[in-house]
Amino acid sequence: MLLEPILGSKNRERVLVYLQAREEGYAREIARFFETDHYPIQNQLEKLESGGVLVSKEVGRTVVYEFNPRYAMLQELKALMEKAISFYPEDLQEKLLMNRRRPRRRDKPL
Amino acid sequence: MKPIKKMTQAELAAYVHDHLRKSGIEVVLSGGAAVGIYSSGEYVSRDIDLVNARFAGVGKIEKAMAEIGFTAIGRHYEHPETDHIVEFPPGPLHFGDGRAAEVQEMKFRTGTLRIISPTDCIKDRLAHYYHWGDRQCLQQAILVASRHMIDLNVIQSWSRAEGKLDEYEKIKGNLQGK
Repeated sequence: MLLEPILGSKNRERVLVYLQAREEGYAREIARFFETDHYPIQNQLEKLESGGVLVSKEVGRTVVYEFNPRYAMLQELKALMEKAISFYPEDLQEKLLMNRRRPRRRDKPL
Repeated sequence: MKPIKKMTQAELAAYVHDHLRKSGIEVVLSGGAAVGIYSSGEYVSRDIDLVNARFAGVGKIEKAMAEIGFTAIGRHYEHPETDHIVEFPPGPLHFGDGRAAEVQEMKFRTGTLRIISPTDCIKDRLAHYYHWGDRQCLQQAILVASRHMIDLNVIQSWSRAEGKLDEYEKIKGNLQGK
């Protein structure tokens, strides 16, 4: 991935670009989006929270993460992620930025 | 040496701070414990947040804390003789407007403590209110403002930089004691 040489981890990049695009997310959701195992995603989320980059909240039994508004380098980090997304293939950009949050009836076909 | 179980929160923070400093670890007291000190104990917090101002490694902190009897439990440290817990929020020490926080030194019988200034303590508490709607933190900010000379222009500029000027205008009177 584009920022892997800087971040040292493709899963860290996945987490950060996902949160940049969607504002919040949880491990299984992010892993499902990138079609990968959720454990390394969870690991990166926890590391980023421990470093003060992300904060989490419990929603039911799910731990939802978002950027920490108090992180010192937040604006710079978000600008970097925004730029990274702009270099992604168009189909991935569209998928990332398409954010369906409105309610949808259970079992309704997509 | 005063036993840990008899130390006040501030004394314990100073004791831990001094020990860490001898181990080459620079920390600064922030969070609710700073409110406790600036309110002369009117507000009491169980947590002692020592910001890891110079990015010491977890292993180094764990080793130094073990030397004075603290055990790491997840992200915080506990000691069998006290209910206070110690945490090390990651640095840098700042409050969002690009400037480093102001740090003051206080002396206690158990050691010297580096602590954020009353103005930065108010910013710290207001950040919780602004970003997460924590009204207890707003009350703590008002409590500190009522006991210390604060330059509200600094708080106003910082609130603007946080994108929270409208919220500041709503609570300004409370900080002025009106």
